[in-house]
Amino acid sequence: MSPLAPNAVAPGSAQTGGPIDPIYRQIRDLVYNVSGIYQLEEKLYLLADACSRRMKEIQVASPRDYWDKLTAHASREGELRLLLNEITIGETCLFRSQPQLDALRKVILPEFAGERVKQVVKRLRLWSAGCSTGEEAYTLAMTMIEETEGLLKGWTIEIVATDLNDRSVEAAKAGVYGDYALRNTTDYYKRKYFTLVDEKKLQVRPEVKKLITFSRLNLKDDSKVLFMKGMDIIFCCNVLIYFDGPSKSRVVEHFFSNLNFGGYFFLGTSESLLKLNDQFHLVHFPGTISYWKPSLKSGKL
Amino acid sequence: MNTTTSAGLRERVARIKITPAIPAVLMPLLQLFNAPPEDANINEIVRLVSYDNSIAAQCLRVAGSPLFGLSKPPKSISAAVVSLGLNRVKSIVVTCCMGQAFPEKKWALPPVVFWRHSLGCALVCRKFCEKIAGADSEKAYLAGLMHDIGFLVNSLTFPEKFEAAINHARDAQTPLNEAEQAAMGFTHSESGELLAKQWGLAPEVITVIAHHHDAEYTGPAQGLVATVHLCDLLCRMRDMGYGYYERHKVDMVNDPAWITLAKEHKDLEGIDLVRFTFELDESITEIRNLVALVFGGQPES
Repeated sequence: MSPLAPNAVAPGSAQTGGPIDPIYRQIRDLVYNVSGIYQLEEKLYLLADACSRRMKEIQVASPRDYWDKLTAHASREGELRLLLNEITIGETCLFRSQPQLDALRKVILPEFAGERVKQVVKRLRLWSAGCSTGEEAYTLAMTMIEETEGLLKGWTIEIVATDLNDRSVEAAKAGVYGDYALRNTTDYYKRKYFTLVDEKKLQVRPEVKKLITFSRLNLKDDSKVLFMKGMDIIFCCNVLIYFDGPSKSRVVEHFFSNLNFGGYFFLGTSESLLKLNDQFHLVHFPGTISYWKPSLKSGKL
Repeated sequence: MNTTTSAGLRERVARIKITPAIPAVLMPLLQLFNAPPEDANINEIVRLVSYDNSIAAQCLRVAGSPLFGLSKPPKSISAAVVSLGLNRVKSIVVTCCMGQAFPEKKWALPPVVFWRHSLGCALVCRKFCEKIAGADSEKAYLAGLMHDIGFLVNSLTFPEKFEAAINHARDAQTPLNEAEQAAMGFTHSESGELLAKQWGLAPEVITVIAHHHDAEYTGPAQGLVATVHLCDLLCRMRDMGYGYYERHKVDMVNDPAWITLAKEHKDLEGIDLVRFTFELDESITEIRNLVALVFGGQPES
């Protein structure tokens, strides 16, 4: 069903099979306006499921009462954060967004290769900001290795991956993943870039790891973020959704200055920057959106 | 396009054997619909639509699609006019007539892909105009629906060359109009314009068909041309293109067409383009269902 439809019949909920309570559309809009995460109409039942898990946890009886919790001054910030956790739970896996990787390989890298054709030392710096347990960083590393066998032959690739959480960073360094994290990883990549740990787990090979520097970083720590210079591409997926407006705005400004001219900044696939920065250009690639810091020669800054 | 090609094209277009298939009611209906709203003869329109049973029945089913605003089919064409208004009924009637004018046959471009793009573009144009004060959303719908009819002309009159152009575009992942120009010396904009004139379509729709790939077009109907140009690009970036990956980056807000449109409509700046894109994604399933309903074939999964 679609918002193009003024009188659309509500979709069924996963739980009841019946029409979904219209309050979930209000919650969807609230979540979007605060965090930038948009829950598609056909996935609204997932939002309803996330809300019902929270409602059970805090013993709230009806979606209407839960709406009150999300909007009442005393509880709204904390509850919204917990709801966002529920919404994004289990999203992390390797090769999570094929349209982003396609944009990278089919449009962005050829663009970079064309722009840098005359440079003697060709290098590319990528940053996985809020890397959690490393899935995104390894996906980028494997993708870039594939490219250095063709389009980017002879290029130096450097990937920086940071997270606020020490334990996540340690897990990321280990690079051991089970079936769930590997659900989108093809056999080709599994064979080429992983070794078997046991029958249920695979570990990323050292030649992939050596492309990445993992470290702890708080994105709100201006003095540290300031030094992440010379980036070509920044991925920061489902991290800024937890930031309040001013903090988000500051981080995005840093990202803009961290990027080289012509660089790109990707958010999660259902995430928007809202209207927090007018320096980046919003650009569409097939199936995905990115924020672009125009090249100097494009004269569009 | 050189003069010889132009004359040859004009002659071939004039000879297109669509007359047996074109619903008899389409031409007089288009004449009636082209009249100024205050002169609209509703009774005559209802009589004409009802005259062709199969079109009338299809119109009622389409009117029952959530994309057109009713939750179930109305009982009669006059009931549809009462519930939806004349303009929306016009959109429905022309959509159904188009489906019958070009019955599914062996086209170089799969019919389901062509109609998904055309109908998707029509609906996105309508939705886009609903966000802008003073824009005529139903006119934009019709212009969006018709903008690519030149592909049908090319498919019917130059099947081999057109197929070569499609194959080239698909292999190189480039825009189809560029491949047409290279393979045929002209594009669907030119052949579509000829057919549109032959059919006696409204002048602004003819202008859209002729100029929708020209981002810098200025002149009569420039707002409508800009709207269709932008919505066409957006559809191609969101899984409603020509059925293949286009290696293409679209910077909507800095497109000359957007700048043209922004001069006419100050509120364009207020559009949340990311959310608009997400909402467009939500319509894809319904659009596929509608394509199956109007143009035949099974809904794609």
